Amino acid sequence: MSNTEAAVMADTGSEQGAAGYLPGEPGMWFFIIGDLLIFGVYFIAYVIYRGQQPELFLHSQAFLNQGIGVTNTLVLLTSSWCLALGTQAARSGQRRDAVRLLALTGVIGGLFPFLKLLEWAPKLAAGHTPGENLFFMYYYVMTGLHLCHVLLGLVIIGFMLRHLRRAPAPNIKFIEAGAIYWHMVDLLWLLLFALFYLMR
Amino acid sequence: MTVYLRNSLTYAWSFLVGITLFSWWLARARGGEYQLDMAITVGVLVMAAVKAWLVIAHFMEVRGGPAWLKRTTYGWVVGVLALLLAAYAFSH
Repeated sequence: MSNTEAAVMADTGSEQGAAGYLPGEPGMWFFIIGDLLIFGVYFIAYVIYRGQQPELFLHSQAFLNQGIGVTNTLVLLTSSWCLALGTQAARSGQRRDAVRLLALTGVIGGLFPFLKLLEWAPKLAAGHTPGENLFFMYYYVMTGLHLCHVLLGLVIIGFMLRHLRRAPAPNIKFIEAGAIYWHMVDLLWLLLFALFYLMR
Repeated sequence: MTVYLRNSLTYAWSFLVGITLFSWWLARARGGEYQLDMAITVGVLVMAAVKAWLVIAHFMEVRGGPAWLKRTTYGWVVGVLALLLAAYAFSH
């Protein structure tokens, strides 16, 4: 689909509403809103359970690596920024810039799983497993679920890059949909970082 | 290159990085251990919600999107923040 077609869709499609341009595909937005609602329930349940054993949660939180937590937050924010710029470049026909920015997104985003493994390995070796207590159960399940989203996002970025390099006329809706997914991965991590690492 | 640096996305990213570093500094361990602290908790949760809004509005481009999308996504941020703060206040 060309940029013109995308703009026409924005003006005429019923799912776009009276005004405003819907980036990506409606289906992707339904998936994202559903995912946000599910994670939202997990976040609230975590805080309620935390309130039942606050000392245990605080004590367990102290074993998390704050440095890796904040570094991974900066990693996702920076890769999201590159992807947002890349999407803008693709939309304005700057394909070479878009390819470079998407490649940078993938390289920076690829640091996240690597750092996550560096964080998990010493903790697991020290006996801090999901079975240790409710905090670590929540920590491994929610950050593990998020890591699955990151890995899927990296695969999607790979497909976006291939599309941008090979397609005669890039489908901007596909690029936008992939970008929205990656930004959601970033967004979820921002809340996970606050809940597991920062709240007291 | 200048077009990417003087870009609202870059301003949003700078702000996101700044808030992240500030919230990390705010929640640092004092005296080597963590204590229950409502002020720090409210601060980091509000800052996380502001960051979430910035990502949705600027990176996900919802600020130029249709009204239903703004209502749903911004509503999610406000709703989750309100429920997290209420859950913390009533359970801790």
